[in-house]
Amino acid sequence: MLGKCFGVISCISILYSFFVGTASNISEAIISSASKSVSLVISLMGSMALWNGILNVLKDCGVIKKLSNLLKPILKLVFPSSFKNDIATEEITACISANLLGISNAATPLALSAIKKMNERNPDKSSATADMIMLAVLGCSCFNFLPTTILAIRNAFSAEITYQLIVPIWICSGMCMILGILLCRILGKLYGKN
Amino acid sequence: MEKIKVFSSFVLPCIIFLIGVIFLFGKKDYFSSFIKGARDGISSSLSLLPTMCALTVSISIFSASGISDFLVKILDPVCDFLKIPAAIFPFVLTKPLSGGASMATYENLLENYGADSFIALCASVIMASSDTVFYVLSVYFSESKIKKTRYALPCALFVFLFCVILSSILCNLFF
Repeated sequence: MLGKCFGVISCISILYSFFVGTASNISEAIISSASKSVSLVISLMGSMALWNGILNVLKDCGVIKKLSNLLKPILKLVFPSSFKNDIATEEITACISANLLGISNAATPLALSAIKKMNERNPDKSSATADMIMLAVLGCSCFNFLPTTILAIRNAFSAEITYQLIVPIWICSGMCMILGILLCRILGKLYGKN
Repeated sequence: MEKIKVFSSFVLPCIIFLIGVIFLFGKKDYFSSFIKGARDGISSSLSLLPTMCALTVSISIFSASGISDFLVKILDPVCDFLKIPAAIFPFVLTKPLSGGASMATYENLLENYGADSFIALCASVIMASSDTVFYVLSVYFSESKIKKTRYALPCALFVFLFCVILSSILCNLFF
């Protein structure tokens, strides 16, 4: 997948440059860009270490558990059929909590096992149920409480606006999440019951 | 707006304060769980490097060849209609497809237009508010061998489009 991405982008760009005569720019770009990626990753490493450490502390002292308990009444409304039949409710709440805190490498395995459990009771095993789609859409667009990676990248490019972006990001990701939930519900009704 | 900016400046200190309190009064040795998480953070950022290296080269070729400017010029009327800056288009295209490629295009924008430019601010909000749609959907559903994903993809893509438009509205409002 990424290989094809690389192939398409690079080949088309290079062919284009032969036509318009920007090949010398490309040579310069190739020489300078490879080392740029290394310096960027190194400048990101500090903040990745800090925030991953903090999230691990929160996970170990049970904040995710507490957040899950708080979220349960709300999620009952978002995933009606799973909660009614008590399928994978633990996984769903833990997955959404992890997504809210931005620990996506913890959220993904939880989501996979939730979908697996939902599929066991699914009459048509090759077709996604409304609750599975809801979980997937929320996995794509979830409220981002700690956008630390983005702030660290911006800092590496010596931006002046860093933490000031937190509130706009909260508004944007929150509204996207709400829209995702509503849209899933509406489309679910249109596509018929499952 | 001023109040919101003051509030923003409290978020990160409050979290560190909370962590400090946990270290001081927690029943277990939470510092060791911090260290474990931090080690994972370092190794995961290192594991990003090989992919990032390839994609950064590819994206900088894309940008240096002038084809990105050409595409931006073509797409300008559409973007103008949606009230989003046309220059973020290469980034918006790669964002749902691949995390690595969108990271590379994002950095390319920050470098070319300056991190505090309107374009870079919009891209930052989009980067933080959305995920790699195609990747997430394929990982979530392929594990359980679900082929018919019904309205999952159109729904997720529509939310992403909304996110792009909303980001430029919010950046206009805040900065």
